Amino acid sequence: MSKMMTMTLGAAAIALAIPAAVAQSPEAETAQPGATLLTVSVKGMVCDFCAQAVTKVFGRNDAVDGVHVDLDNGEIHVGLKPGMSLSDEEVETLVNKSGYAMVSLEREAL
Amino acid sequence: MKMGFAAFGAASAVLLAVGPAEARPVSYPGGWTWMQMNNGDYSSLHVHYSPTFRDSIGIYSERNWGEDWHFTGVQYNRLVKRWNEKTSQANLYFKAAAGQADPFGPESAELAGFVGVAADWETRRWFTSYEARAYDVGSNQTARQAARVGIAPYIGDFGDLHTWLMLQVENQPESETPTTVTPLVRFFYNVQLLEIGYTPETEEFMLNWIIRF
Repeated sequence: MSKMMTMTLGAAAIALAIPAAVAQSPEAETAQPGATLLTVSVKGMVCDFCAQAVTKVFGRNDAVDGVHVDLDNGEIHVGLKPGMSLSDEEVETLVNKSGYAMVSLEREAL
Repeated sequence: MKMGFAAFGAASAVLLAVGPAEARPVSYPGGWTWMQMNNGDYSSLHVHYSPTFRDSIGIYSERNWGEDWHFTGVQYNRLVKRWNEKTSQANLYFKAAAGQADPFGPESAELAGFVGVAADWETRRWFTSYEARAYDVGSNQTARQAARVGIAPYIGDFGDLHTWLMLQVENQPESETPTTVTPLVRFFYNVQLLEIGYTPETEEFMLNWIIRF
């Protein structure tokens, strides 16, 4: 039982020390005028680890302002910075790199 | 920085205290994962880095009280195949580790390792998985397999607290109690996954913790 206690305390300490780093970016839904909003329909996203992967991979791209994942509808909403763009192929590559498969892509100019 | 040292100290303490069943042994490119598994027979820690969504490599340490050895080594995980569907995902993984086994007692350490396969299928409501491993820990060759089924009583979106009710059946032929059934609850919040279970046959608790960052 003491081993279990040690492990539990250790786990709790680490949980407090590591920030929750995967909050969704609100920017995707409050993008600036002149920006573009992508709605990417994706197959295979079923859990928060999937959403985390997509958020991280898209978030590292210089053209991306914010990412929002909608697990209910299997969609990724990506806000692009004003004047920046991602081609269909680039979006599909990012989805594949996250581990998932793109079904469709829609663009909306804001 | 102080908090960083505290985390490192706590991590070291946990590593020394413990030593395996793993869900999703690969992450996104550039992602790190901490996987700690504990039950009455063995405890393990696996910390790995994923250069791609198909591969991860890291350290693996397992302390096996049921069979009296402690293994420390390097583990490689490979996502062999993923099936992405609109409402489901299925995966097939290969795992291998090589390192050193220290038997409890006066015997000296020996080269050791294991190979394993794992598969899972899940939707946002249902979960199933299977894993089998074969160990060679010097004078001791052993195998272990486990299967799980789970259901989520409610569906949450990204960032909500997700709860799963699961049942695990584990078989270790060399163990005193070769087959055990463990009901468990999985809590999944943000980047952290915690599992708490109890095995009536052995009267032991299960405590698993995974964090991805």
